[in-house]
Amino acid sequence: MRGGTRTALVALLLLWSLGPMLWQLYTSLRTPEALLAGAGGLAGGWTLANYGAVLGGDPPFWRYLLNSTVVGALSTLLTLALAIPCAYALSRRRGLLRLLVGGGLLAAAVFPYVLLFLALLQVARQLGLANSLLALCLPYAGLQLPLAVLLLQAAFAELPPELEESAVLEGFSLWQRLRWILLPLMGPAVVSTGLLVFLFSWNEFPIALTWISRSELLTLAPAMARIAGSSVYTVPYGAFAAATVLGSVPLLALLLLFQRQIVAGLTQGAIKG
Amino acid sequence: MSSLLLMAPALLLLLAVFVWPLLDYAWLSLQAQSVFTGLETVPVGAANWQRLLADGRFWQDAGQTLRFALVSVALELVAGLAIALLLHQRWRGRGTVRSLALLPWALPTTVMALGWRWIFNDPHGPLNGVVQSLGLATVPFLASPDLAWVATVVADVWKTTPFVALLLLAGLQMIPADLYEAFALEGGTPWQGLRRITLPLLRPYIFIAALFRLAQALGVFDLIAVLTGGGPASSTESLAVYAYLNAMRFLDFGYSATVMLGMFLLLLLGAAALLLWRRQAEVGA
Repeated sequence: MRGGTRTALVALLLLWSLGPMLWQLYTSLRTPEALLAGAGGLAGGWTLANYGAVLGGDPPFWRYLLNSTVVGALSTLLTLALAIPCAYALSRRRGLLRLLVGGGLLAAAVFPYVLLFLALLQVARQLGLANSLLALCLPYAGLQLPLAVLLLQAAFAELPPELEESAVLEGFSLWQRLRWILLPLMGPAVVSTGLLVFLFSWNEFPIALTWISRSELLTLAPAMARIAGSSVYTVPYGAFAAATVLGSVPLLALLLLFQRQIVAGLTQGAIKG
Repeated sequence: MSSLLLMAPALLLLLAVFVWPLLDYAWLSLQAQSVFTGLETVPVGAANWQRLLADGRFWQDAGQTLRFALVSVALELVAGLAIALLLHQRWRGRGTVRSLALLPWALPTTVMALGWRWIFNDPHGPLNGVVQSLGLATVPFLASPDLAWVATVVADVWKTTPFVALLLLAGLQMIPADLYEAFALEGGTPWQGLRRITLPLLRPYIFIAALFRLAQALGVFDLIAVLTGGGPASSTESLAVYAYLNAMRFLDFGYSATVMLGMFLLLLLGAAALLLWRRQAEVGA
């Protein structure tokens, strides 16, 4: 492909990927009058008031970001704590059990989890887990375990078996082998799996929507939906847009920092799955 | 033995999250539990299932969900392949473009759905700004049943094409470059190379991407809940949204469970048909 054509195609790709978000950025900085006067104008009508409105709301917008971060981080830790031993054991087994568990995990990984929300909600009500950010981590970890175990067991399977055999001869216990020999070599796989779990938990909607009703405990996704449904925001689209921009910034930062690891995580899944 | 012990905590949580709900639905679908029963469960036999079979809205939503999924995933595969081919070539700044192009996929669906609602706004959104500058009347993208489902497809393609592109990019990186060199030496054009080398070798990756995306698109909920709420006149409603409305708005839990189990059975049927078709295609090949 010639250089000129390629540059044009790359520009087109960036316009398509970033255009909608750039438009939100533009909208968030315009006054309501400027927006109603006509889209695309550049003269006059610039303001930061939309951000003031969103950040000064009750609860302030950063509260949602904080809640999402807490749930994302704790869910990731819980998922990894459960998935790593399971993936190790699975990678060391042969035969029927491995086949059954592996097949079940793959089926669960593609299952549209939204179907599970009603039963999970009933469990939450019976056990008094509603309106708790900590409790929300339980279903999140459960939903992400299939993908996490599949990715991690593929990474375990790649480590040379001699490594562990010699450690056994040295008298290392199972825990010591995992902690001092295998896990240090698994760094990249653990990081990329963790990032995928974090992204899922940060973005999850239907379960957060039904488990959390107190507004100061909302995570980002249901908070956005609530903003979308509230009449307070329907006319001043600037406030809408300011919320979408604020909700996107942390993820943009995460992507730019960890692009390589996220891509590695996704592509490993493709190769091993 | 100890390996079972290591797997036990994860497997227990998996059973609780994936298997328990389905068993719960199977039981609940044989009960009435709604405002009419004071939210108590009352056994009603197969009444919910008979209602499901005769429920026009369920079957309409099933058709709409299938249309949404097939059109979205087909477009995503084509666009994803084009983007993967572009991002596979070597050029300066490729790494940055890769992460920027991934942004739509990483954003929460509700965030971008809100953004698209503004873009499709009638008359103040930018899309209608373009329409007006051409001297045409504004288009009610989200208020017309013929256009609203197209809007949901556009938003979904925007959001998930990067995911497809990335999986296919992984596949492209597995194809040895000397295959193309040998092919070019024998006088093959790049277009023939795409058809004779790239596509056949990429087939497993295309299959995985299509499988993941189809499953996700058939369960579509977040996007439609925020972008259109299922409207206008339920014309964009998906099965997941219908099940949600039955439980959380109509407070008819017995029937909501039936809708979800019905949807699960339809998915199983579809998956079985797909597997059978694939096996036959392999035998035939």
